[in-house]
Formats: sequence, structure tokens, C-alpha cells
Amino acid sequence: MAAFWTRFWKRRKGARVPESPHLTDGLAQARKSAYRQETEFARELYHHHDLPLYRFSVTRRALWQALGAGFLLTVSLPLSGQQEDAVAEPSPGKRLSARFLFQADAPLRVLTGKIEMGQGARTLLSQAVAEELRLPVDALQMVMGDTALCPDDGGTWASLTSPQTVPAMRAAAAFARELLLDLAASHLGESKPALRLTATGVAGASRTVLYPELAAMAANATPPATAEVTPAAEWKTLGQSVPTLDGQAIVCGAKRYASDLKLPGMQHGWMVRGPHYNSKLAVLREGPKLPEGVGVVRDGDFLGVVAPTRELAAAAAASLRPIWRGVSLLPESRLHEEFRETAREPVAQPGARYPGLITRGDPLNAFWSSPRRLESKYSLPYIAHVPLETRSAVAEWKYGQVTIHYGCQAPFLVRQEVAEAMGIPELQVRIIAQDSGSAFGGKQRGEIAVEAARLARDAGAPVKLTWNREEEFTASYFRPAGLLEVRSGADEAGRLRAWEFHNYNSGASGIACHYDIPHAWCGYHPARSPLRQGSYRSLAAVANTFARELHMEEWADILKEDPIAFRIRHTADQRLKDVLRRGADAFGWGRAVRMAGVAQGVACNLEKDARLALFIEIQVLGAEVKLRRALMAFDAGAALNPHQLRNQIQGAVAQGIGGALFEKVDYLDTRIRNARLSRYRVPRFGDVPDVEVLLIDRREIPAAGAGEAPITVVAPAIAAAIHRASGHWLRDLPLLPALDRIVNPPPPAADGPKA
Amino acid sequence: MPRYELNVNGKPTTVDVQPNTLLLDVLRDHLDLTGTKYGCGEGQCGSCTVLLDGKARKSCLVAVSQVGQQPVETVEGLQRDGKLHPLQEAFLKHGAFQCGYCTPGMLMAAKALLSETPKPTRDQARRAMNGNLCRCGAYGRILDAILEAAEGGSRA
Repeated sequence: MAAFWTRFWKRRKGARVPESPHLTDGLAQARKSAYRQETEFARELYHHHDLPLYRFSVTRRALWQALGAGFLLTVSLPLSGQQEDAVAEPSPGKRLSARFLFQADAPLRVLTGKIEMGQGARTLLSQAVAEELRLPVDALQMVMGDTALCPDDGGTWASLTSPQTVPAMRAAAAFARELLLDLAASHLGESKPALRLTATGVAGASRTVLYPELAAMAANATPPATAEVTPAAEWKTLGQSVPTLDGQAIVCGAKRYASDLKLPGMQHGWMVRGPHYNSKLAVLREGPKLPEGVGVVRDGDFLGVVAPTRELAAAAAASLRPIWRGVSLLPESRLHEEFRETAREPVAQPGARYPGLITRGDPLNAFWSSPRRLESKYSLPYIAHVPLETRSAVAEWKYGQVTIHYGCQAPFLVRQEVAEAMGIPELQVRIIAQDSGSAFGGKQRGEIAVEAARLARDAGAPVKLTWNREEEFTASYFRPAGLLEVRSGADEAGRLRAWEFHNYNSGASGIACHYDIPHAWCGYHPARSPLRQGSYRSLAAVANTFARELHMEEWADILKEDPIAFRIRHTADQRLKDVLRRGADAFGWGRAVRMAGVAQGVACNLEKDARLALFIEIQVLGAEVKLRRALMAFDAGAALNPHQLRNQIQGAVAQGIGGALFEKVDYLDTRIRNARLSRYRVPRFGDVPDVEVLLIDRREIPAAGAGEAPITVVAPAIAAAIHRASGHWLRDLPLLPALDRIVNPPPPAADGPKA
Repeated sequence: MPRYELNVNGKPTTVDVQPNTLLLDVLRDHLDLTGTKYGCGEGQCGSCTVLLDGKARKSCLVAVSQVGQQPVETVEGLQRDGKLHPLQEAFLKHGAFQCGYCTPGMLMAAKALLSETPKPTRDQARRAMNGNLCRCGAYGRILDAILEAAEGGSRA
């Protein structure tokens, strides 16, 4: 298909509207929206056909016959200054594009490089565009993450869809609206206010002009003088709890994930992996003869099987006789030592999204001259993403080009990975990011896409490869383990004045100390990791917030002060104070039921521009912890879709409970030891309390991202509550084993040397 | 290869597969009923839950040879005459999902629960559903939906 597309594109080049510099200039002057930006206007005018996304059996003739008429409008916006007070740094030269496909006989299509993985981007971006085009959301169709059609918006990560993509989409849609209305006004001879956009054209009092007719006029168009986005007070679609757009398909089991796809002639792949982490294929011995139609692909350490059915592929894989070589992993007991020994000094990267070093004042002198000092050490282990849909990809080669369907978060990066692995130019790789059955930062890389492409190349047929649960653990990457060392000093009055914060290995995001402490040093030391590690929902903000918030809790305890009052005393941020105060009221802070082992805990954060505070009530009985109830007070500026926002918050809290209480990748010698769900515990119905959400909706403030921030406060709030219930400070995640080590200490070893 | 006659969503169906082929694979790969999902292959996550003779079973642990004439119900069979099942309606109303991958298994487990305990308490529902994982963490909403369907559902 990609071949057709490319050729088609070239053929139509002559029909393109030439670049018109005056349009660009005029538009730049005209932009006076709420967002500080220069807008560049580029247009493609062509005839198109309704592209089949999943079937590639069209012949060239059929393709040409299927051509209809339409109008593709690309509006390109600089990424910098999308939102003036965004935490995200400006990245010079990086642009976001919005592409709209206006058609006469099909829904209006919006093409975006962002993807849907359950976080609600499809619905939210539809709302943003619908709001500005003044159309109902169901008049639009989102085409997401197809590298042959969509602009490269970067990966779907770091909670950037709300603060970055939504404003860009809105500005672009407002521009498109004004342009089309101007064109239609002159075409119909009617005044602009009397016109409105519909799904297929612009409607006037007398008649409707279809989009393709307008396209023909676009060549000589003057850009609209103004294209204001709709003020929050007048929102009709944004700010509403629009339900998930494909909800009906979901409850009917009709939603198709990559693992559900079936292409004509499709074969099934199966990877053969050794028992060790990073297994090396030493020898592949002669085995029994394989059934007809079954192929083996061996390429270095890569060993896979392709067969007409999954059962055959599995049986063939099991009949192979490889000998694998493994290398012992660094023992877990030496992990922190290794982090310290291999640690590099933090590097200040001004302007980076997650700078590795943030300093203010003179923290060293301030610490040593403080009359009261506190030093603590915190840690957290490797954990796995455990997306419910294991990775799955379908790859198909045609004319030296490969198309891969894969529910990934970063289709353009995966394209690059596949191109590099296959030794072909990126333009010969097309990634279609199928909606994902959850990802949580785990599906940013393209391991499975490369594997499927490799198998399919030898098979000469489309190949579907679906990882089993064990492969999800062993063949991908984990959230980094981390060691955190914090020391701080307070004056006689109990006011913090010095803060020194070291993060080893886990990362820089959320490392800044947002509390009002005059002297601070926060640094991330990259280190050597025995296991592959990568992104995870909020990445290091979980680690950094755990250490920061528990450290604050320790201070409040030393000073015998209410932890909420202590935090409020140390922040100048009014919105943070608000979530703490209003949340405490709504939760009933200080009014825990009087039962043995029951206590409350709190943690707050200012993360990615959101302000949030989690209140939790727990019961500790021996080494058991039961979470009784929880409330999250949350302020991310404007709530663009309150229902989805609550859903994200509740979900992030549920997920955070796993990392807080029990999740941990267990490895020994050469192997991961708990690479299955019967050995790796994730939160279930019985583990998760009902989570109430107090949403503070500030329409006047641009929306911050919210998919990640809520997970950061779970562990410190629970750890604080455990301390208040049992008197134990647990500074190592996960908390349940840490509590068990205290409550049920292992018997002392009878003999032998002790460290 | 042996032939198996199955009754899936009220329709007689035949498949030619090995006796140890999993019901999950038969549904997904041979009958193209892909609403039933793979999640772990060891009965831990519930994504593959179907009803076998009205009881919730993890189809990744059932061989096709064990099915016999027991009626198999999957998420695709929940709708009747183009109308959504009350559980489906309630899941939609409460937005009881994010990515939606666990939803079919949740619906089938919930249907089995309500046929045994038509009016469960929240705690009963929580315990009964404990074998189904939702990694997006929509647990509270799923309970809300089940309780609502129990209140108003006639076919639940």
C-alpha cells in the first residue's frame, strides 16, 4: 500500500498548489490567538480515495477507480510556546502539524500522529477539533498513528496530548474553519456569519457547497484575517464528559487490536527464546523434520518460526533443538553498590524537559549550618508495565516495503527502528499504530515490529506475531530501579532551608523540589543497569515523589506537626494549598474510624503543571495492609473531559498501588524468575479501594496533562499511613515485603560469614 | 484431524483442530470471534473468560475436546436482536473501561455472577470479579456498572 501511496503522491505533485509566501506572511501577522505562536500554512490539494487501512489487496486499477474528491489541509505550528506557562521546554525547530481531510462523501478525517491506548486521546482530540469546527464529535473520524498518512507529532507519552496537541489542534481547526467559511462566503455570495460547517461541506441559507468545490478555489485563497480559538466560557464540546467514542465497539468485543487482525494469506510467527535474560544462541542442532509449510528463520541470535497456524508454529518452535548461552546478571544485593560505583555526575541541561540537575542558593553551606538535619535513603525496584494486551504485530512486505500494524506509542520511532534493523530507508516502512490494549510507557519501542518484519521477509507472506505473557517480561524493558538519597536541614523554627536530593539510575523527571526551600540541589546520576530499562507511566516522577514526599512526612513527624499544615507552610503555590485544604475537608482528614491499625496518610505533588493531593485510609494488621478508601483532589487547569479525567486519575491510583505495595521484578543468576502473572502480582479488584475524585476545574488555565501525575503520590501516601498506623518507616518499595521483613524478621543465620 | 461440533452463541459450528487446541484459540483463530482475548495463558487475568454451560470459564485453560455439547457464550453473543445486554449498557453508561481490552472478559464474568447472585452487594461483586484484571484500573466503575445492571437488568 505504501508503494501506491508514494507513487500516487508523486503523480499528483503537478496538481499541488504552489507555495505562496504571501499566505505564510499574512497568516503570521494575522495570528492573535491566546497561544503565542507563528503559524505556517501549507496546503495539499489532491483527489483522494477512501484509503482502506487494513486491507492491501487493491490493485492499482481499483485504486484509481476508487478515487473520489477531497481536500487535505495541513496546518503546521511551531511546538514552542504552545502554552506559555507549560512545563515542557520549547524545542526549536520542532513543529506540530494538524491535517484535516475534508471530503464530500465521507466523514471529515483528522490525521494525527498521536495514538490511543486507553488514555482517551481519540475522544479528546475529536472534542478539540469539533469544538473549533463547530461540529458534533461524531462528524469526525480520527486517523491516528499511521506513518504514511499522519504527521509526526512525536510519541504519545509524557502527558503531552492535553497541554501540547490539543492547543495545536484547536488553533489549526480554528484556522481551517475561518478559511473554509471565507471561501464559501465568496462562492455562495452570502455573509460569513450565516454560514456553518457540516460534515461534508459548508452550508449557507440557500445551499451547501461541498468541500471539493472549495478545494478548487483554495489555490488563490487569502488566509483568514483572524482565526480565534473558542474561549473556554463558550465551549460546547470541550469541557464536556464526552463518552469514549468507540465504547459501543468495546462492549461488543468488536474493537480490533493488533492482536485481532487477520490479513489474507497471513501466517503465524513464534519467537524461540532461550531461558536466560539476553540469551545467546550457541548452537542450533539438527532436529526432527518440520511439517510442510513451516519455516525457520535464524539470523544471529534471532530464532523464529513461521507456520500457517499458531498451534503449528508453537509445536514447531518446541521441536527445535537450540542450545542457549546465558550470562549471569549482577546479584540484586549488589544493585545499589553498582549504581553508586557507576554513577555519573548530574548534568545541568537548561531547557530540557527533564533537566538532570537543578540547583538554587548554596545548599551545602545551608545544610551544614542548619541546626536540625535529616538524612534518609529510599529505593525502588524494577517493575514491569504488564499491559493487558501483550505486544502483537502484523507485518507484510510488498515491493520491498513493509507495513506493520502494531499498537505502539511512538509509530515514527518504531519506523526508524525497523528501517535501521532491516537496512532500508524509513520511507519504505509504514507503521500503523493500532489502538493499544494499554501500554503505560511500555510500548514505545519496536522490538516486536522488528521481529515480525524479519519473520515476514523470509516468509513472503503477512506474519502475525503475538508475544506471550512471559515474553512481555523478558523480551522488553522495565521501569528503572532507583536509589535515592536525601538530606535536608531546618532552622530552629522548623522551616526547611536546605535540600539535597540524589537520584541514582531511575531518572530526572519530577526531580525538582517544588517546595519553598531557599537552598536546593537536585541531581540525577545516570548509572549502569543490569536489566534493560525504559519509560514507564510518569517514569522517575514516581521515585522522586516517593522520596520527596516521604521525607516531608518524616520532617512533619519530627516536628510533631500535621503533615498537611507542614506542607502548606512550605509552598507558595496557591493551587497546591487548595488541593490540600479542600481535599482534606472532603476526605475527612483526621477523622479516621477508630479501629485497631487504622490510619490516614497524605501525599501531594506539583507534577507536569498539575496540582494534586491523595488522601488514603488504611488498616495495618501484622504484615497485611488493607486500603480502605481514598480521595484524590486534582487540579490540572481546565478539565477538558471531566469523565475521562476522573477515569485516568482513578486508574493511575489503582496502578500505583501495585508499585507501592507488591510489584517487583525478581531476577537471579541468568534469569527473570517471576515472568508470569501467577508470580508477578498486579492490583486486582480486592486490592483497590474506591477512589473518590475531587476535581478542581479551572477553565481559565490551560489544561495540563493528567495521565501520569496521579500515579506519583500513591506510594508516599500509603507509606505515610503505614507509619502512622504502625510506627514503621518503610523507605523501600514495594512496601508489603518491607513491612513483612520488620514484622516477621528472618531468623538469624546459624553460622557463616555475615556482611 | 478430528472434527468438533460446538455450540457457540446459540449456533452449531464445526472446527477441525487437534484435541488439545485451546478453546481460546478455536474462538479467536478458527471462528474469528476475537472479542475473547489472550492475556496470560494461565487463568490469572480473566481476559479470555467465556461462559461454558452458563459458568464463567477461562478459555485459555479449556481444551476444545473438553467442551462437548456445553453451550459456549462469548461477548459477541451478548447482544440480542440488535439490543445491548443490560451489562453492556451499564458498562457504557459508567465508562467502565479505558483501553477496553479486559471488557469482554469482565462482561462475561459479570454475567455469570449475576446469574448466580442476581443482587450482589458491592463486596460480593468485588470478590467474585477478583479473577479478572483491568490494568487501566477501572475497577470502581466496573463495580458500579455491575450493580446497576443488577438493579435494572431483566436478562441479567
